[in-house]
Amino acid sequence: MLAHVDVNSAYVSFERVFNPALEAVPTVVLSNNDGMVVAASREAKALGLDLGRPWFELRPHAQRLGVTALSSNYELYGDMSRRFHAILSRFTPELEVYSIDEAFLRVSPRIARDPDAMTALGRDIKDTLRRLIGVPVCVGIAETRTLAKLANRSAKKIAAFDGVCVWPATRPEWRQQLMSRLPVSEVWGIASRLERRLVAMGISSIADLAAADPVRIRKAFNVVVMRTALELRGVPSIVAEEDRTGHKEQLIVSRSFSEKITTRDGMRQALSIYAQQAATRLVRHRQVAKLLTAFAGTSHYAEQRSFPSVLVKLPAPTADPVELTRAAHRLLPLIEDGGRYARAGLMLTDLRPAEVSQPLDLFRFAHEESRIAELIDKVQRKEGRDLLGLGYGGMRPGPSWQMKREMLTPRATTHWDELATVRA
Amino acid sequence: MLALSPRPVDEPTMLMLQASPVAVACGFPSPAQDYYDGPIDLTEMLVDDQEATFIVRASGHSMTEAGISDGDELLVDRSKRPRDGDVVVAVLDGQLTIKRLQISADRVLLKSESSEHPDIVVPELSELVIWGVATFSIHHLRRP
Repeated sequence: MLAHVDVNSAYVSFERVFNPALEAVPTVVLSNNDGMVVAASREAKALGLDLGRPWFELRPHAQRLGVTALSSNYELYGDMSRRFHAILSRFTPELEVYSIDEAFLRVSPRIARDPDAMTALGRDIKDTLRRLIGVPVCVGIAETRTLAKLANRSAKKIAAFDGVCVWPATRPEWRQQLMSRLPVSEVWGIASRLERRLVAMGISSIADLAAADPVRIRKAFNVVVMRTALELRGVPSIVAEEDRTGHKEQLIVSRSFSEKITTRDGMRQALSIYAQQAATRLVRHRQVAKLLTAFAGTSHYAEQRSFPSVLVKLPAPTADPVELTRAAHRLLPLIEDGGRYARAGLMLTDLRPAEVSQPLDLFRFAHEESRIAELIDKVQRKEGRDLLGLGYGGMRPGPSWQMKREMLTPRATTHWDELATVRA
Repeated sequence: MLALSPRPVDEPTMLMLQASPVAVACGFPSPAQDYYDGPIDLTEMLVDDQEATFIVRASGHSMTEAGISDGDELLVDRSKRPRDGDVVVAVLDGQLTIKRLQISADRVLLKSESSEHPDIVVPELSELVIWGVATFSIHHLRRP
């Protein structure tokens, strides 16, 4: 039995903890460079402010509608997310972090036998998170991940559940009715593209998919859709996507620039900083990478479109910022002075745990020996990101490509100078 | 002058003395070594629930007699149940406000700790939102 827990309008809820005046105010949070809406409060959604709407379109109406817009405060969300997952882990020996604001918890067999105990657990999780970190969450509990997600959706949409829906505790007729009413696209993992093909096969509701012959589904689509169909019948078929240590298959550091980069030197600096950020993240996850892809691109609408990229095989698996920077700079010969680049990034793949891949001494890098990445990480954590960096990445930004965050709230839980103020 | 220095000149000043956890190569090992468990960790001493504790900064002078001056940092533990007499962060008109909570049979009061600031009477206990209980004040004794 699994519980799925997620934070309601997570980014907005995290902001409201430190600014209670935003409670009940329609609030949206914008993406990188204040580009578009990535989170909207219930009140904002009721005004028709949907996710994905570009901010420049909304800005003229925001004031009239009484909407508050905020830049993404990633430091704050990251720290609140860490607290969220740490508190959830108190409720289970097996926590599966699914995203910044979502997780699956294994429910102990003793509790799973008793619907009342499961409801009590769900309430306890919800109340504890509200009390300890001040955020509203919903909880769905069911036999499979797919059903737990569906239960969570019900907990959110149907007021009578009051935020906690225990699937096995609901009436079978109600479940059947709900699944017949909801389109198949409401199921976790069924994209709208798939939906069209399913409908063509006569599968339009969730109930249709649950009743469909799994073999036929596998033949018509693939094993993933078949697993989803099985999960809807209560047969656990989907395993954890990522192991619980936070190790990932790949690591991407990429941004769009607030102003276009038009020179090779500008690009050199951007790549240097990304290489350093990537190194820091690898060190934190105790991982090393074998492959690095560096890429850049103009806007798709630019007159001279260009999307250069290079794949660099690193001499040995590494997290060394010097090596990663050097590899990232292999993109530079492909960058044209005068090109108008809107975006660049690095992708590290073929990741492995740092401890098992001890390269032969022959392949050890001098900088690795001196543990320069850890040093930079330490200094940056203590003194701030801009104080120390490597080579071009260490230059203080005047550059225009630093992220634009005009409506940024204080980073209240990670920066001593930006603590929340209480009136005394 | 380029005289050779016998020790590095840039050695950082350490305010905390640390015993070496490594055995000394010659002579008798220090008897203190067996008793060394690391320096005092303030977080461990002052914070009961790390995930539920937030650091905030006071602004204003209404709590000076409780030892909270303008600019002091406060540890606020949201896991603690507010009791009569606690210094709490309450939400008043959408703002985080620090006051002393006074609960008596007939009324609830958010008390200032300064003669120049009025107390706030809470008409309905159910309408009072307590954000967290302040557990420690980091009172700055020496201003920069």
